[in-house]
Amino acid sequence: MRALEPWVEVPLQTFLDESSARLTLLMTSSGQVVAQHGFSRSLDVMTAAALGAGIGASTEELARLMGSPRFEALVHHGARQSCLLAGFSTPRGRWIGLVVFGPETTVGIVQLFFDQMVQQLASAAPREQPAASALPENFEHELDASLKALFGR
Amino acid sequence: MTDAQVVLDRVTRVPGVRGALVASAGDGLVVAEQLMDGVDGRAAAALAGSLVGRLVRTADGAGRQPPAFVQLRAERGSILAAPCPNDLVLIAVVGPDANIGLARLEMLDAASRLA
Amino acid sequence: MSDDIRALTTRLAEEPTSLAFLELAEALRRRGQLEAASKVARGGLGRYPGLADAHDLMARILSDQGDLAGAFDAWADALRLDPMRTGALKGIAFLYFRAGDAVAAIDHLQRAAEADPDDESIAQALARVRRESRAMAHRTTPAPAPAPAPAAEPVVVAQPAPVTVVEPASPFTELDGGHSLVLVDANGLRLAGSLPAPDGGETGDRVAAQLAGVSREATRATRLLGLGTWQTITVESPDAHFVLVRPTGETVLLAAREPSLPMARIALVAERAARAAKIWLERVQ
Repeated sequence: MRALEPWVEVPLQTFLDESSARLTLLMTSSGQVVAQHGFSRSLDVMTAAALGAGIGASTEELARLMGSPRFEALVHHGARQSCLLAGFSTPRGRWIGLVVFGPETTVGIVQLFFDQMVQQLASAAPREQPAASALPENFEHELDASLKALFGR
Repeated sequence: MTDAQVVLDRVTRVPGVRGALVASAGDGLVVAEQLMDGVDGRAAAALAGSLVGRLVRTADGAGRQPPAFVQLRAERGSILAAPCPNDLVLIAVVGPDANIGLARLEMLDAASRLA
Repeated sequence: MSDDIRALTTRLAEEPTSLAFLELAEALRRRGQLEAASKVARGGLGRYPGLADAHDLMARILSDQGDLAGAFDAWADALRLDPMRTGALKGIAFLYFRAGDAVAAIDHLQRAAEADPDDESIAQALARVRRESRAMAHRTTPAPAPAPAPAAEPVVVAQPAPVTVVEPASPFTELDGGHSLVLVDANGLRLAGSLPAPDGGETGDRVAAQLAGVSREATRATRLLGLGTWQTITVESPDAHFVLVRPTGETVLLAAREPSLPMARIALVAERAARAAKIWLERVQ
């Protein structure tokens, strides 16, 4: 498990221990990766983050068109693995969680401990102002630095 | 009143039962519930459902048929579970002084009705 | 050095804590460079002790190096982290088969088949183990006694020296009705006892592997629902009743009986067995 910010580690590790999730990715709603577990390649992390943020944005738009509040979670059931995609609010803005899990756990367990993690993240987030968001020309550099941190460099 | 609600109503009338719910066994999600304050139905569905799943695999590993009734007894109460047809499980959270025998009979009877 | 190993080595050098160590160590293992593979895998395992992939890889390297005990431990670690890991189940099955324990080998292969029904290699391995264990049983069947000679002299048939098998002392041997009792440690390994299946096969190890997970689930459920520490689990099946108790904080005991016996009686059997198990554990530790 790797996280960009230390305060994310304990809630995320607790979630991983309890849920038996195989892959987990936490990202901002714009697709910037905050933490990951289980991925072996940075390319996979980038791709998953981009796709996850895209799906999150699409479902928000769908909810808006339907005139309903935003969907909080989406679950895809697969033959061997399933996937939960859930948006949640943090003191640092809206984040998205992508969780891949297998038959060794259940969606009920994953959702239960995901919600607990969200509450713990809300409590653990430091109160100081976050750093100003990167200018577009620095985005590639920031992304590269984030990926290196997520893979332990 | 749906079948599930009828069933839950009977089970929760047993003295000491703090709440009862019907959950999807495979997913651990609540289908119907009738709970007192302080009983977390979502957690009960997910956790009890997961435990029952493990016990089904244990019974299978022992070459036996799947369980019909499970009691997890703890210091301050018990969790009772009765797997039902159609991948459902009836779960009750009871206090330490609950009439377990009566709750068990009601749950076994109810489990057969939840088809 | 081949291109792929070169590329992986470069990647690992640039990101020393990346998971590229998995691919690199596997590539080295496949080329027979076991020392190098072991070094890379150990480094990665040191950084990622909770990664089942890393333990699985380490086990394969140790197995290739001939350290079968080390390989067994590493695959057991992988299974603790990922109970459905077919690579580890196959590996342990292979080790059991080599040690001559076909029953345990088949048991692990069956679990692997359940986890991954589409894996042809598991079905093939199962067929092979069953075939060879039948052949072995046939070869060890004693030859029929020779027909008696017509001469008056007696025919002396040398008898093999009796083999004394020393069964490890079980805490349940002296218990009245001390059967169908299994004592399991926190890692899902059987400490004592046995559990015969209705068809006569032994299921103790298989059930033990499940019971560690049952205990963890029960602990979690009662904790999060505010019920405190769990004390017993009773399970009623149409063809058996089970009671689980905890002789110590680190062990679980399962008692199984016919459903004709009232559950409360089985609970008493379990409690008595748990007391015996606790005394036995204090003696053996």
